[in-house]
Amino acid sequence: MQKKLLLIFSLLIGILCSGIATTSLAEDTSAAKVQKLIEAADAARKQAAGVGGEWRDTGKMIKKAKTLMEKGDLVKAAKLANKAAKQGHLGYEQAMSQKTLTMPSYLHYE
Amino acid sequence: MKQLFRQMTLMVITCGFITAAQATTPEEDLAAFQKFYKKRFPNVETSDFVNGAYSIDPVGRENWEAIEEFPPYEPFIDEGQAMWEKPFANGKTYKDCFPDGPAIAGKYPQWDKEKGMVMTLPLALNNCREANGEKPMKYKKGSINSILSYISFESRGQITNVEIPSDDPAALQAYEDGKKFYYSRRGQLNFSCAHCHLQNAGMILRTETLGPALGHTTHFPVYRSKWGTVGTLHRRFTGCNKQVRAKPFKAQGEEYRNLEYFLTYMSNGLPLNGPGARK
Repeated sequence: MQKKLLLIFSLLIGILCSGIATTSLAEDTSAAKVQKLIEAADAARKQAAGVGGEWRDTGKMIKKAKTLMEKGDLVKAAKLANKAAKQGHLGYEQAMSQKTLTMPSYLHYE
Repeated sequence: MKQLFRQMTLMVITCGFITAAQATTPEEDLAAFQKFYKKRFPNVETSDFVNGAYSIDPVGRENWEAIEEFPPYEPFIDEGQAMWEKPFANGKTYKDCFPDGPAIAGKYPQWDKEKGMVMTLPLALNNCREANGEKPMKYKKGSINSILSYISFESRGQITNVEIPSDDPAALQAYEDGKKFYYSRRGQLNFSCAHCHLQNAGMILRTETLGPALGHTTHFPVYRSKWGTVGTLHRRFTGCNKQVRAKPFKAQGEEYRNLEYFLTYMSNGLPLNGPGARK
């Protein structure tokens, strides 16, 4: 019985916390901040593209983030811009990691 | 101190050996590449690799052979022949640019020393059009596929023989760039071309058999049932890059031209059999 109560209590706390987090994110997310996130994402995308490492969806995500921002959905726009920025950074890192050609070990030269 | 010096010397020698071992010639690359497939698919005749996945997938081959009885690319060949014969507005034809035509597919891709770049057949065709005051064709879809279908059909049986001229280091560099592209991981899925078409050739990806890279270039342009039309090699490159979630490069841009140069060289010795039909 005590365990059940503890579980319900934990769940309630969890829901409350996530609600607070979402509200605070929304409050923290002003249009200017989202604009900066989008710009940062685009810079990351361009950096990856500069070394031939841009991923397929990064540009689309940035475009969608811009549309969401214009519609006033700042939380979603911010999340998407962050995701796009991450893709940009990873794409760049990936391309840099492939700078030196490594031939596969299963190809046998004699 | 002496021991440290000895160890460092050993390291330098080892590094030097590794670097030397990695610097391979195109001929060595070709031998290793073709040997890989012969070992992997010992029962497949080398010349049969021109049939792509159907050389290793008997069920797929039966379906494909049935499709080939009424080839879906046939109307494109006819259309291409009409294009070849129809004079440009200035009265000249493709024949004036390509006196050996229409069976010229075996000459491409080739190294253009004057321009310092890989010249592909689609690019050469558009150069011809522009030189005669015509609008260039698009490089992935549309009328370019008809004329390519006709030229490929007329070139059937020619042997792939890409040359990398030894008197121009830029040609070797273009080949090396294409090779690097082929073996480099890219996209969100972190795959290289080689992961699917070399390392995992013959394996099943969802419902499809991954085709061997050997012979990949011999049957283009290709009618793909998925496209419902004929498409160019660079359209296929674009699709492959998208599938690994990488942003594709421009068709007939430097990246894909160099990739075509490398990939076609890897099929040296195989007969051309385009246009082809694929799922």
